[in-house]
Amino acid sequence: MTPPILTVNAVEKHYRGTPALRGVSFDLAAGELFGLLGPNGAGKTTLLSVLAGLTDASTGGVTLFGKPFTSRDAEARRAIGLATQDLAVYPELTARENLLFFGRLYGFSGSDLKRRADEMLALAALTDRANHRVGTFSGGMKRRLNLAVALVHGPRLLILDEPTTGVDPQSRNHIFEQVRRLNAAGLTVIYTSHSMEEVQALCPRLAILDHGRVIACDTVTNLLRQLPTTARVTTDQAVPKTLPGVTGRRQTATGVELDAADGPALFAALRHWPGLEMSALDVVPPTLERVFLKLTGSALRD
Amino acid sequence: MPTLTIALKDLRLLLRDPRSAVILVIMPLVVTLILGLTLGRVFTDKPDSKIRISVVVEDEGLGDEPRAFPDRPWSEILLDDLADTANIRVERIPSREQAARLVERGDRSAVVILGKEFSRRAQRCSFVGGEFKRDPINPLFRDGVKADELGVEFLTNPTQPVGSSVIQQVVQVSLLRVVIPWMIGQAFDLIGTDRFMGKMEEKIPALGIAYRVPGFSKARLGDGIRGGISDFFSEYDFNAKTWSGLTESKRQFSVHGAVAGFGVVPLRVVATRKPAAAAPTRSENRTVYADPKDVQYQMLVPGTTVTFAFFLLLTVGWLFVAERRHGTLVRLRLAPISRTQIILGKAMPCLAVSLFQGFFLLACGKLIFGMTFGSRPELLVPVVVSTSLAAVGLSMLVAGLARTETQVAVYGTLLVIVLAGVSGSLLPRELLPENLRQLSLLTPHAWALDAYSQLLNPDVATPQVGRVLTACGVLCLYGLVCLAVSRLVAKLD
Repeated sequence: MTPPILTVNAVEKHYRGTPALRGVSFDLAAGELFGLLGPNGAGKTTLLSVLAGLTDASTGGVTLFGKPFTSRDAEARRAIGLATQDLAVYPELTARENLLFFGRLYGFSGSDLKRRADEMLALAALTDRANHRVGTFSGGMKRRLNLAVALVHGPRLLILDEPTTGVDPQSRNHIFEQVRRLNAAGLTVIYTSHSMEEVQALCPRLAILDHGRVIACDTVTNLLRQLPTTARVTTDQAVPKTLPGVTGRRQTATGVELDAADGPALFAALRHWPGLEMSALDVVPPTLERVFLKLTGSALRD
Repeated sequence: MPTLTIALKDLRLLLRDPRSAVILVIMPLVVTLILGLTLGRVFTDKPDSKIRISVVVEDEGLGDEPRAFPDRPWSEILLDDLADTANIRVERIPSREQAARLVERGDRSAVVILGKEFSRRAQRCSFVGGEFKRDPINPLFRDGVKADELGVEFLTNPTQPVGSSVIQQVVQVSLLRVVIPWMIGQAFDLIGTDRFMGKMEEKIPALGIAYRVPGFSKARLGDGIRGGISDFFSEYDFNAKTWSGLTESKRQFSVHGAVAGFGVVPLRVVATRKPAAAAPTRSENRTVYADPKDVQYQMLVPGTTVTFAFFLLLTVGWLFVAERRHGTLVRLRLAPISRTQIILGKAMPCLAVSLFQGFFLLACGKLIFGMTFGSRPELLVPVVVSTSLAAVGLSMLVAGLARTETQVAVYGTLLVIVLAGVSGSLLPRELLPENLRQLSLLTPHAWALDAYSQLLNPDVATPQVGRVLTACGVLCLYGLVCLAVSRLVAKLD
């Protein structure tokens, strides 16, 4: 088994006595696309700041590529690319000027820098707008550029904080494609988002953070297994109570809702139950959103 | 290298921000113009405690004719007397026409004109009649000196009778101090001479008989009379012909010989002081600005230059806040560069802009407002540089602490205006109460203004280089300390 490139070990972070992170621990393997979920105020941004070296943990520690990592390790930060939730680009500069500036900060120059900037412009599909000021860009173009700037220095770990906020479906798809492509090429990615669908679609493994703690850290498949499949049966007949594998039952106005761990088996049993006539049968598989709500509760978080 | 990269980027951002150009370059010029038009007289008519005596010198002097006294034109002697008088400031106006204009528009209540004949007429002043001096003039009368007898005119503004009277009285007193010792000296020179003794003999016929006594002669009697009078008025030197010489104690002069009744030996009173050389008059040592507007911009341009140097605070603040708002500050911190490199990278373009602003405003002051750069223009360079450094330091400190554009606008503007007000940037520092003037030295503005004043103020005859460099040193120290503190406290998150 390959050693993890990132180890978060019992990280705690306090702001004036108020805990923001409480004993957060997880590992990240090389080439992994790892999701990070959590409601507002769960500590995601604080955790990302610690992981990016913008701030230090109060206790506990982070190991990056086998070495302890703190905010003072300027050189280690070269390996990290961060696309922040805010559009961290200069609107007064052109797309190319932004890329060249951040590339220079990482020590690139000359033709190498120019080549990298061109590659990133292509990645962001902004080649034809390279010399336009960013202030004139649409939200989607700015988001794509934001991602390109995070990649211009060739990081080994990419941290994406809500990278699709406020973008149109086309730009979101473009970002998805690029993230998948980069990950397929070996780049390790941490992806945070409020969109459960995005994370479920992109990340094989994820952690759910709430109140500063990791309340779940597993593969998406295993997390989904925590919830049953629900079958919504619309019928005016009595549904037999002897159906196999049913773990939950709720009467509704039009029929009944049945929960079962094995959704396909329940579906087959209902279809073939002798004498049961149904006007409709909907099978609702478990979703990450339902897992998330189950784990974090449905109370509002402001 | 990262520092330079950040600096070039910020310079580009500054140049693309029209607000910066307006605040740092256009506004100072507009403010200078407005202040010049509205408050200019405050700068020219400073409420110093000195009475200004404005003089036009048309005097042609005494020519090359050999003479014992004086060794320079009488107009210079008069101007020096005025300049040496407590609380009097002499201002020379180049021409009668300019003087007439100043009086006519009320800028001067009176101007003294020393006519072409002034020296020749003063030379003719004498207590004794034509028997002893050719074509003498006695200018004295009950109220003082008849000015017209000496070729002195007063151009007066009838709407300012008090001011013009004061000036005329001051000049009258100076004329008395110049003319009377000269007249006394000439008269005293005659005492004991053959011509004087002949006159004595006319009045006292018995003297003719006395001269026949062995050992007694007209010359010895003359010496005796002169020595006796000198001895009697021992505190005065009647030969001096100048007010200072006349009124100084004789103890300051070396006395050769002795006086003992009739048995005197020839007595000579020799002043140990060297006679006044043909040096320029003290009133000429200062730059002459006859037109008030020349002076007002001489004071205004440095004031606005200093004030608006610190308006950089707003520009830097907005630059910082924008960086934070855009989230790019996080990217800077994420890059493999130090906090010091970020601070320096942001300070460098601000310094460049500030330097450009300083030199540009001074150049505009010269080209547009007609100001001069004084006798040591090269010293303006360190003053501009050190002022810019102080402005950048303070700007970085405030900008690093401000979190929003509103904070920058409110706190920055407040700070800039308070500092400008306290330091006397927008009004002459002379208007400030003494304690506030001392307090103002806590502001970098005051040091910058002091340095500029040394170099550009027409009232400062010779700039004190040490004082200028001290001010530059304080400004540099101020800027560096502020930068160091901003390095520690700037909120880069």
